[in-house]
Amino acid sequence: MIEVRDLSIHIQGKHITHHMDFTIPRGNITSLIGESGSGKSLTVSALLGMLPDDAKVSGSIMYEDRNVLDASDQEMENVRKQDIFTIFQDASNSFNPSVKMGRQLYAFSGERVGDSLQVFNEKMHVILDKLGLGWEVVEQYPFQLSGGMLQRCMIACAFYVEPALLIADEPTSALDMVLQKEFIQLLIRLNEEKGTTIFLITHDLDIVAEAAHEMIVMQQGRIVETGKVETIFSHPQHAYTKRLLESRF
Amino acid sequence: MIGKWIGKRMVMGLIVLFIVSFLSFFIMQVAPGDPAIAFYGGNAQTLTAAEIERITRAYALDRPVAEQYVAWLGETVKGNLGISYKEGRPVFEIIMERLPNTVLLFSVTMFCIVIGSLWLGTVAGMRANSIWDRGLSTISIATSSIPPFWLGILFIYVFAVSLGILPSSGSGDVGGNGGMVDKIRHLIMPASVMIVTHVGIYARFLQESIKRENGQYYVKVARANGVLERSIRNGIVRNASIPYLNYIAMTIPSFFGGSIIVESLFAWSGIGQLTVKAVVTKDFPLLMGSIMVTGVLVVITLFIVDLIMYAIDPKLRKGGIR
Amino acid sequence: MKLRKALLFWYSLLGLIVLLTVFSTILAPYSPNDMNMDEIYSAPSSDHWLGTDHLGRDVFSRLLEGGKVTLVVASGSVILSLFIGVVYGGISGYFGGVIDTVMMRLLEALITIPALIIILVFQVIIQGGMWSMALLIGLTGWLVTARIVRSEFIRLKEEEFVKMANMLGTPVWNILWSHLLRNSIPAIFVVTLFNFAAAIFMEVSLSFLGIGIPPAIPSWGNMLYYAQNDILIGAWWIGLFPGIMIFLTILAINFIGEAWKNPERRRVND
Ligand SMILES: Nc1ncnc2c1ncn2[C@@H]1O[C@H](COP(=O)(O)OP(=O)(O)OP(=O)(O)O)[C@@H](O)[C@H]1O
Ligand SMILES: [Mg+2]
Repeated sequence: MIEVRDLSIHIQGKHITHHMDFTIPRGNITSLIGESGSGKSLTVSALLGMLPDDAKVSGSIMYEDRNVLDASDQEMENVRKQDIFTIFQDASNSFNPSVKMGRQLYAFSGERVGDSLQVFNEKMHVILDKLGLGWEVVEQYPFQLSGGMLQRCMIACAFYVEPALLIADEPTSALDMVLQKEFIQLLIRLNEEKGTTIFLITHDLDIVAEAAHEMIVMQQGRIVETGKVETIFSHPQHAYTKRLLESRF
Repeated sequence: MIGKWIGKRMVMGLIVLFIVSFLSFFIMQVAPGDPAIAFYGGNAQTLTAAEIERITRAYALDRPVAEQYVAWLGETVKGNLGISYKEGRPVFEIIMERLPNTVLLFSVTMFCIVIGSLWLGTVAGMRANSIWDRGLSTISIATSSIPPFWLGILFIYVFAVSLGILPSSGSGDVGGNGGMVDKIRHLIMPASVMIVTHVGIYARFLQESIKRENGQYYVKVARANGVLERSIRNGIVRNASIPYLNYIAMTIPSFFGGSIIVESLFAWSGIGQLTVKAVVTKDFPLLMGSIMVTGVLVVITLFIVDLIMYAIDPKLRKGGIR
Repeated sequence: MKLRKALLFWYSLLGLIVLLTVFSTILAPYSPNDMNMDEIYSAPSSDHWLGTDHLGRDVFSRLLEGGKVTLVVASGSVILSLFIGVVYGGISGYFGGVIDTVMMRLLEALITIPALIIILVFQVIIQGGMWSMALLIGLTGWLVTARIVRSEFIRLKEEEFVKMANMLGTPVWNILWSHLLRNSIPAIFVVTLFNFAAAIFMEVSLSFLGIGIPPAIPSWGNMLYYAQNDILIGAWWIGLFPGIMIFLTILAINFIGEAWKNPERRRVND
């Protein structure tokens, strides 16, 4: 679905990613793993065509048959609206602080796909319930909810929209083990039943092992290893991957 | 929650009014002559000994200054502001006659400024680096550098002297021959002078605030996820309008100052013109009254701004920082 | 690049205005108070570039002399308000705690009272002239400066090098002077520039009302005071030119101030 070739990004003269090559195949769960500050979130921005204004990029990002880096803002806006849902890393800042959650959840999900408020209410109720959230959150403001609750709200919108491509940047960082398991099950089901392509950024190798088909390992702005999850887990090539896997067991 | 919050605001307003009342009282103290005479101004000569006695008692004039202040404040709160030195009528009556004009001028100009700056500021702020953005940044500085009364003089020259289509002064009379139309014709020039010289700078403040808000994380998240641009914009404007309202509150006093001059220039018979008149004719009771009433007007306006802010900002309402 | 050129232009304009007014006695073709009853209300001509007023005085000469008065009053008051603002804001910011709270509440209350009214009242009570006016504008104009100084001090107090100096036992006045105040200078400079514009505004406003500078001394505001009547008989030149001077002066100050607010644009060359 997405092919990244020779992608380098630098901001204010600072190199952040170097000559990245990777593919996100359609219908798969691909996970990106890497140390903090290695440029994962920035890569997500690049995929969305939403790099900061002062960023300089070279290389190409082919989304289906168009290059994201050449596409106009309007074009990318349409692509995002049609196909992509992104759960951003910082859930507690992902909502407008002075608008009620109900209004915002609707804007992120029901309104986007053209559902009426009534349809939204019914459908969203079920999803929130699965994620362990009561309906009363819609009456609250973001600052009245915890980081984990906000993260789940975002996740709920993603499941509502059922996009062609779901990008999730560390979506479970604020969730406990039980909720994390629940989320992964939902994610797998979404992938299997609806064929949603999923790009999952995470620190957690357990999640990778459980959910992902493919994985990409990043270190200091470089891709050091890509391949099938089983292959990499059984035969890691790069020293960083080896260290990563060792620390898990 | 709201009770406590309003309480706090009221206390602040009261402190302001206290300072204003000190100022007023101070005027009476330093005004030349006997305070009783200063108070009852033009009528002083006609007062009988018994009346002077009564005034002296009402205002505790034979007591220490602190008690005099309390007595005077009591009278003021009751609406007894003394008698105008020049007109020989109760100050309260004169002020009440003029208050509607000031309120009218103020509400019309403030309404237009708020609507205009909301529109301009949003358009310019949402399109960073566009011609609107850069244009407003420059034009707002230029228009706010124009002295309002000078613009007024130019307006009078163009519209009253040369073209003769608008009256150069006065405030019209709804009850008179012209009716409502006459009032509006008189209102146009003073109002537009205030609007032209102020709308830009308020718009610019909102514009900057919107540009800052536009860079927030939640906006990026919303844009990435196909939230309607209209919803995004409304959310941004809502958040950006909180510092904007604060700015309005901060500048309201100088805005009142500006309207004093504009009222005088156009002989718009409001409180501002009255204040200047009282100063020029050294009509101290009248001056004290108009200062007090201006203080009350400012405090009420600020209170309204606060209420709007309270309605917009849920953090104030819920008192909650996580 | 373009921005810097523009800034250079505003610097030059302000400099030119200041020079014109400073050397007004040399540059003015007439004495600013010379009356000529044969030449009242004469329109701009080669004799009188900017015309004459209701007493036949040369508008151009009065414009230069008036500018000097206006700018001197504004400068005087700004120096005063700068001093009060720095002291008030400095105390509030440095000590913090209850002192800060009380001082800030008082300041908030004072900001609410239109300064124009206060000046109006005192000017009439003390029957003041030019210097009392500068004094009053200064006494009412320090509030914003105080706020800025306070927030700068609070910010700087938390900086590593100030904490270090405190630990090393540097005397308080030394910390105040060479750490806190010195590092607040850019912010203070910007607010003082805007204060200067505000002081000019205040002077012209009051003189325009006939309450500021006595009529015998020309000032830009004073000239406009007469202009409001002159304009009715069509003598536009009396009001037009002082207003343009005020406008240009404030415009230049505002643009320079804006540039200083934004540190990247600060330098003119390089
Ligand atoms: N807007 C920006 N301007 C300048 N530098 C940035 C910007 N965003 C990110 N960076 C830099 O890019 C690098 C990579 O950041 P990024 O957020 O992509 O890391 P990450 O891999 O997502 O880390 P984490 O796991 O902690 O989320 C960091 O060094 C960061 O300082
Ligand atoms: Mg990240």
